[in-house]
Amino acid sequence: MTNRQTETGTSDGAILECRGIERRFGGIVAVTGVDMVIRPQEIFGLVGPNGSGKTTLTNAITGFYPPNVGSIRLAGKDITGTAPHKVAKLGVARTFQNLALFNGMSVLDNILLGRHIHMNPGVFRTAFYWWAAKNEEIENRKIVEEVIEFLQLESIRNELVDGLPIGLKKRVELARALVAEPQMLILDEPMAGMNQEEKGYMSRFILDARAERGVSVLLIEHHMDVIIGICDRMLALNYGEMIASGIPKEVVKDPRVIEAYVGGSHG
Amino acid sequence: MFYRLSGVHHANYVSDSRIFKVPADRNLAIFIFLFGLAAPFLLPSLYLNSYMLPWLIWTAAALGLNLVTGWAGQLHLGYAAVMAVGAYSAIHAARFGVPWEFALIIGGLASSVIGSLFAFAALRVKGLYLALTTLAMQFVMDWVLTHSPAISGGSHASLQSPTLALLGQDITSDTGYYYVAFGWCVLVTIFMLNLKRTGLGRALVAVREKDFAAAILGVNSFYYKILAFAASSFIAGVSGALLVATFFFLAAPEQFSVAVSIQVLAMVIVGGLGSIIGSYLGVALILLVPGLVNGIVAGGSQSLGMQINVETLAHIPNAVYGALIVIILLIEPLGLGKLYGNIRDYLMVWPFDQLRK
Repeated sequence: MTNRQTETGTSDGAILECRGIERRFGGIVAVTGVDMVIRPQEIFGLVGPNGSGKTTLTNAITGFYPPNVGSIRLAGKDITGTAPHKVAKLGVARTFQNLALFNGMSVLDNILLGRHIHMNPGVFRTAFYWWAAKNEEIENRKIVEEVIEFLQLESIRNELVDGLPIGLKKRVELARALVAEPQMLILDEPMAGMNQEEKGYMSRFILDARAERGVSVLLIEHHMDVIIGICDRMLALNYGEMIASGIPKEVVKDPRVIEAYVGGSHG
Repeated sequence: MFYRLSGVHHANYVSDSRIFKVPADRNLAIFIFLFGLAAPFLLPSLYLNSYMLPWLIWTAAALGLNLVTGWAGQLHLGYAAVMAVGAYSAIHAARFGVPWEFALIIGGLASSVIGSLFAFAALRVKGLYLALTTLAMQFVMDWVLTHSPAISGGSHASLQSPTLALLGQDITSDTGYYYVAFGWCVLVTIFMLNLKRTGLGRALVAVREKDFAAAILGVNSFYYKILAFAASSFIAGVSGALLVATFFFLAAPEQFSVAVSIQVLAMVIVGGLGSIIGSYLGVALILLVPGLVNGIVAGGSQSLGMQINVETLAHIPNAVYGALIVIILLIEPLGLGKLYGNIRDYLMVWPFDQLRK
C-alpha cells in the first residue's frame, strides 16, 4: 500500500471522496474501512473478486444502501445517506451490472429519461404542451441526439430496448447516464459478457466521454486489460477491505491482488 | 394499406414529436373528432343520450384510471369513491350558488385531495396489498356517503343536481349535454396524448417499470406516485360531477359503489393498460355490449318465434359479455388497444410482410 499516503493526501479538489466506509447487512460486513478519492477527470478502476464489496460501495455512494460508518463527499459536499434521486440531481450517474433499462420504452425514450434532472415535468406542462413543454422537450432532444450520435445509436433510436442485444443495451445505458451531464459517472461492469471488439469500442467511448465531456469515471471491471489500459488509478477490494491501491500496473503486481484473483500458492 | 410510413420524413424534432406521426393515424383522429362534433345531427337523440354521452364520460373517467394504473402502475380499486367525492363536492358547490365552471373545478380539486390520500397508501404497499388498501378506502367512502346526511342526504336519499350552466348558458338540451361530455372527453384525451411525449409520462413509466432505475435518474418515485394519483383523481372528480350533471341528474351513493370501481378497472384492463384508444374501446365494450347483445337476443328470438322467458333473457347478455372479456384477454392480454395496434402494425407493412415469411 505504498500509494496510500499520496492518495489520502490529495483530497483537496477531489470530485468524490469516501472515508472509512463500512456497510453491514445483518451480521455480514460487506465493506469496511474503505477510503477512496477520485480526482476530477480521472478514470478510477475498482476491482475485486465477486462478493468483495464493489457494488456495495457504489450503492453506498448512490444512496441505495447508505454506509453505517464513514462519510462520502461529492465535490466537497457531504452526500452521506442522501436519497438516490437527490444524489442523481447532484451530478452522479451510474449504470448497473445487470442493466436497468426500461424494456417497454424505446431507446430514445430511455435516453430522454436521462435528461430528467434537467427537465421540469409536471401536470400543467403536459396539459399545455404547446406552450409550456414543447421547447423544453425539443431542447433536451437535441442534447440527447448529440449523445446518440456520439455513441452511434442512430439506427436503433426508435426500437424497443427489449429486443436489443446485450452489447447495445449496455451502450444505451451508457448514453442514458451521459445525457445527464454528470460530474461523476459510475460504471458497474459495463463490459461484462462482451467480446474483445466490443470491449475496445466501450473503452474508446469511456475515454472519449472523459475527453469531450470532462466526466470523472468510477469503473468497476473484471477485465484487467481494460483496467490497465484506461484507468489512471485503481483500488482493489477483497472481502470488503482494501488490499491495494495506486497505479494499475503496480497494483496488479501486488501479491495480495494476485492471490485474491488467481488464488493462493498453487505451486 | 391505409397506414403508410413511406414518404413520411420528419426533418426536425418538432415534427418528430407530433402526436400522430403517421398520416393515417392523424386522419383517423380528425375523422373521429369531426364525427363526434357532428353526432347530434347524425344520431337520434335516444342514441346520443343513452349511448354516446355515457360512453364519452366513462371514457374520460377510464383514461384517468389508466393514468394511475396503466402509466404509473398502481392498482386502484377505489376509483368510483374518488368520482363520488367530485360529484358530491361539485353539486353541493353548485347548489350553494357557485357557477358551474368553478363547481366542476372544486369537485376535481376535492377529489384530488382525497385521491392523494390513496397515494399515501400506495407509497407503503404494492400490488395486491395496494389493491386491498384502495378497496378498503372505497368501503370507507361508501360508508361516509351513506351515513352523513349533510353530504348525501341520508342512506336512501338522492341529491338533485341544479341545472347545468356553462359560460352563462343554461344547458338543458340533449345536444348541450352531449357537447359538454364531448368537450371534457376531448380535453382528457389531449392531456393523455401529450402525456405520451413528455417528461411526466416517461417518469411515470419509469416508476412503474423499475423504481430503483428511476431513482438513479433523479426521478422521485414518491412525488410522481402522488402526482399520478392527484391528476387521475382530478379527472375522476370532474367526470363524476359531469356524469351526475348531464346523465343521472340525481346523485346517489350507489352510483359510485364498489361494483362501479371494479367496472371502471375492467374497462381499463379490457381496453389495455396504457392505451388511449384502448380506453375508448374498453368502455364501449363494457358499457354498450350488454345492451347490444340484449337487443340481438331479443330480436333474434322474436324473429325465430322462440319463447325465451324473461329471466333467461336477462342472463344471456351478461354471460355473453363475460365470455367476451375472457376471450379478449386470452387472445391479447394487453387488451383491445393492443388488438387494434396489431392490426395497424399488420397493415403498416402489408403486403410486404409476406416477403419476410
